[in-house]
Amino acid sequence: MKKILFIAFAAFFGTILSSFVNQDAAGDRLIGVWEPSNGRARVKVEKIGAKYYGKIVWLKEPVDPVTKQAKTDKNNPDPNLQNVPLKGYRMLKDFVYSGKDEWNEGTIYDPLNGSTYSCTIKMTDKNTLEIRGYIGVSALGRTDIWKRLEVKKK
Amino acid sequence: MKLFNLHKQAAIAACFAFTLTNIVKAQTDTTTSPGTETTSEDEDFSMYDDVGFADQGAKRYCSPKIEGLSPAKLISLGFDFQGPYQMNLDTFNNDLNQGFPENGKSTITSGARFACNIPVISKTSVVWQLGANYWESGYKIMDKGPLAVGYVENPMLKSLYSNGLRTMGINTTLFKPLNDKRFLLFQGSADMSGDYNWKLMPARYMKYSAALIYGKRPSERKQWGVGLARTYRAGELNYIPIIFYNSTDASNKWGSEILFPARAHVRRTINSRNMLFAGYELEGQSYRLYRMESIRNQDLEIRRAEIRLRAVYEFSLKDFIWMSIQAGYRINYRYDVDRLSNGNEIYRAFGLASDEPYIMQNTLTNPFYFNVSVNLVSP
Repeated sequence: MKKILFIAFAAFFGTILSSFVNQDAAGDRLIGVWEPSNGRARVKVEKIGAKYYGKIVWLKEPVDPVTKQAKTDKNNPDPNLQNVPLKGYRMLKDFVYSGKDEWNEGTIYDPLNGSTYSCTIKMTDKNTLEIRGYIGVSALGRTDIWKRLEVKKK
Repeated sequence: MKLFNLHKQAAIAACFAFTLTNIVKAQTDTTTSPGTETTSEDEDFSMYDDVGFADQGAKRYCSPKIEGLSPAKLISLGFDFQGPYQMNLDTFNNDLNQGFPENGKSTITSGARFACNIPVISKTSVVWQLGANYWESGYKIMDKGPLAVGYVENPMLKSLYSNGLRTMGINTTLFKPLNDKRFLLFQGSADMSGDYNWKLMPARYMKYSAALIYGKRPSERKQWGVGLARTYRAGELNYIPIIFYNSTDASNKWGSEILFPARAHVRRTINSRNMLFAGYELEGQSYRLYRMESIRNQDLEIRRAEIRLRAVYEFSLKDFIWMSIQAGYRINYRYDVDRLSNGNEIYRAFGLASDEPYIMQNTLTNPFYFNVSVNLVSP
């Protein structure tokens, strides 16, 4: 009887552990390099701790036409951040995998206007993301389609 | 003792599970700090120059926006105010204003304006929005005789004074990119305009407008298009060619936002949250005179159109709440009255299709106006 109890106990924890591992594996499908629909940038999604973050790694127009220098986050409402280079800028933050191919609780930053929006990410297939930025409620938002990129090894 | 050992084994198993879970998580950790805006590691960004879609069938589509464009308004609540102006009404060949003064003075024309525009589908391959709007124009009018606001005998002036004019409608916008450079843009609307109150009017008095544009977006800073519109902006039904042109210069300071002939503005961007505009908008609609018993069955419609030369300042109050303040000069383009034969629309095509005369050709002098609105802007 005691052995049965022990086996049941171990199986219970094994199931929990397995679900953690599976959850992590499912969530990690977000990791990679993605291109927003406008093609202006490429964003690399990484995992830091239990959350997912995306940083800009490529810009179609990397140089500011006025300053002739690398583009910075000049539209940021915080003057201290306006000289931060856009390449490497973390525009997706704090996403948590919630199951069912969705990541939420995160934010997306739009360097074009310096605004940060609530955001959810839905993976519609392994190479396609629906990124919905919204204000307050999801209905007041806009969805963009991002496509997975393959980086050609040098 | 055996029970204790069993508990001990279970506790060890639990600790093992917890440790393993953390190991799994730790394997995916990086040294980057999530609290900072940028990553600190020295990454070779050039490796992202040469990439391809993982999905070989994926296509790039052009965006409906360009860089530097003023933010789209999801919800807008505003107030419009026109200063005093003279209304000189034409003679009318029956009992509408026979024997009554034909001049009046509008001391104030004002009203609330509400509009919303909500994205229903917003995907790379198609963007579809639905919207609704409500505009009202209340008139404070006096005839030239008694010189007292509200003392109105002319039936049309009386109708305007008592009932005002309203426009309420729904609209839809569809943006369909054809590839990464070319797109189609469709806008359609159904509006009920007239002197009705909350009882509205029969749906047969709805006016339908539409526009279709074929456009090109050659760069991140320019988009243009040409198309055709069915519109009441000139007061009466017209089918006209339209030109669409939005641009932003390299400095992001200057730009244009044009949908000719409906509106055209030069944009001066102070920063991404403060913008100035100078230009004009052509506003107009056909308003059915419905509520006054004496003219209800005469199928009368006011063909109202005005050109608003203006300066506009739009700025962010807080985050996504923007305020728009505009001031300018309202030029009357048309304020004539048509009688629709059996309710059928009159299509003149600026005199090319029909030379049917208006039953009243009115002239209005031109006042200054201002408009203020608070807007929730789109991501």
